[in-house]
Amino acid sequence: MTSSLPGFLFAIPFFAAIVIPVVGFTNQKLCRPIALGALVFLSIVSVIGLSEAVSHGPLSHEFGGWAPPIGIEWVIDGLSGLLMVAISVVSLIALVHAGPLVEKELSGRVIPFYSLSLLLIAALGGMVLTGDLFNLFVFLEIGSLASYVLVGVAGGRSLLSAYRYLILGTIGASLYLLGVGYFYAETGTLNMADMAQRLPDVLNSRAVLTGLIFIVLGLSIKMGLFPLHGWLPDAYTYAPDSCTPLLASVVTKVPLYAFVRIAFWIFGMATVSTQIPILVVLGWVGAVAAIVGAYRAIWQENFKRMLAYSSVSSMGLIMLGFSLGTETGFAGGLFYVLADTLMKAALFGVAGAASYQYGASTVTDLARLRRNMPWVLAALVISALSMVGIPPTAGFFGKWHLVVGALEAENYFAVVAILVTSMLTALYFFRMFQRVWAEEPLPLVEPHVLETPFPIKMSLGVLTFGIIALGLGSDLVMGLIFESVIPKGF
Amino acid sequence: MADILLYRPHFVAFIILFLLGMYIMVVSLNLVKKLIGMYIMQTSIILFFITLAVKKGSTIPILLPSVTALTPEAYANPLPHVLMLTAIVVGVSTLGVSLAMVIALYREYNTLEEDQILEKMK
Repeated sequence: MTSSLPGFLFAIPFFAAIVIPVVGFTNQKLCRPIALGALVFLSIVSVIGLSEAVSHGPLSHEFGGWAPPIGIEWVIDGLSGLLMVAISVVSLIALVHAGPLVEKELSGRVIPFYSLSLLLIAALGGMVLTGDLFNLFVFLEIGSLASYVLVGVAGGRSLLSAYRYLILGTIGASLYLLGVGYFYAETGTLNMADMAQRLPDVLNSRAVLTGLIFIVLGLSIKMGLFPLHGWLPDAYTYAPDSCTPLLASVVTKVPLYAFVRIAFWIFGMATVSTQIPILVVLGWVGAVAAIVGAYRAIWQENFKRMLAYSSVSSMGLIMLGFSLGTETGFAGGLFYVLADTLMKAALFGVAGAASYQYGASTVTDLARLRRNMPWVLAALVISALSMVGIPPTAGFFGKWHLVVGALEAENYFAVVAILVTSMLTALYFFRMFQRVWAEEPLPLVEPHVLETPFPIKMSLGVLTFGIIALGLGSDLVMGLIFESVIPKGF
Repeated sequence: MADILLYRPHFVAFIILFLLGMYIMVVSLNLVKKLIGMYIMQTSIILFFITLAVKKGSTIPILLPSVTALTPEAYANPLPHVLMLTAIVVGVSTLGVSLAMVIALYREYNTLEEDQILEKMK
């Protein structure tokens, strides 16, 4: 069905990103209302888009009046609609949370912060919605540029991590572009749907194989898949606290989406599991990533660095789920993407709140939260339990579906890998709990403010509620995924 | 291997450029040299795309009003050129952002060598 909704979804944050510097130049106080208003609007429109796509089939929009194989097409189908909703809602919450933090740590850079965040969200939306491989590259780079700057916006230590992120990210994007070049040379098209039809004829060519390897490598760097995660721990550790909830929750998930789109929609399940068996390789990589990420997290003193390694571990689990080759595994992987988006936003949100009030950055420092931040601690406990996989949180159901998918695929190694990861995750979060409760309270330091600001409390509350609600409503979400997301060929 | 050198010598050149760029990016400790490597790498990809458009005996893809019978074989493929125009813009903006970061790093640490910056951070 033709509809201008996909273009509209991109236009809302993009125009807000342009309007903010113009308006903010005269009155800086207006930046935040404009950004939040645009994101509320975006969330509503993306929910409408998802429900339309689920009930009436995919919505597509042709740019410039050129029909798809030649022109650029944007599509909302089940997968892109679902991710669009996740991106817009979580980034809205992350920006609500960022309000007080921005004023404290980026006081002179309020305008760039909001403008770049919205540009980032617009680019992520563009990546999710586009039906054209080259268009995806352009949005990948716009989004990456925005996130490099968001990592380095505070200056100092974070600048070098941002610079390294930029160097590695550019290598990733270049590899992706090279892969697209191979595909284009072999099929003569860039449109995803058209390429899916033409690829079966040329699957035996070495150019397609090489192109796919380049694309997978490039996207793996962008999504921080072990062993190509080198930029991730430093970038997440030193990025300003106001940016990390947004960066950690959605930015790595969207290159993952691009991989899923290319592997399962363009190549198709049958090809990637038998003819060009990259899923086997990625399954192993995912399992190792999940275990090594969780293992490295155990040894981190810095709270944000621990969470960064936990992100590496989650990305491995998700990759493992997608590579199982069963419907449940795929759906479980996608469910875990949604769950991890909420959990990482909440955990980095807690880290931001702790550093805002007490300047706490290490795991031991978190003990200070015991004094007068009970609600923040509650959010920390619930999201940590969800990461470990305790029912009825979203993390439990995500891991449950992954294990069921692995059993269906009779891949017992994957089952073991998921369980070991859960145990290691439990180890580092229980170590954190032990530091917070079992040890002597730390000497009192003067807090920055006595009472946690309302936006932080509210956003953490909403995220925690979301984690539990996603867990309780997991049947509903899984039903939606099974009904309208799962690609053909399983 | 031999027939690649014989019929596609330009591909060999692009591979050398790509690897050279990547090598400079990885090995060099100077922040600006890394960016030079990055740009060489991006350029090799741009050249690769451009050569995809070439056809033997074709002309520039401009449709003159005097031409009535359309023969696609007679024109070079314009799409890779257009794509690379976009890719050049992307590359330039990446370079702009990275140079801005390098300037900010230089102001803070007074050096462009990565190892010296790391030492000063301690």
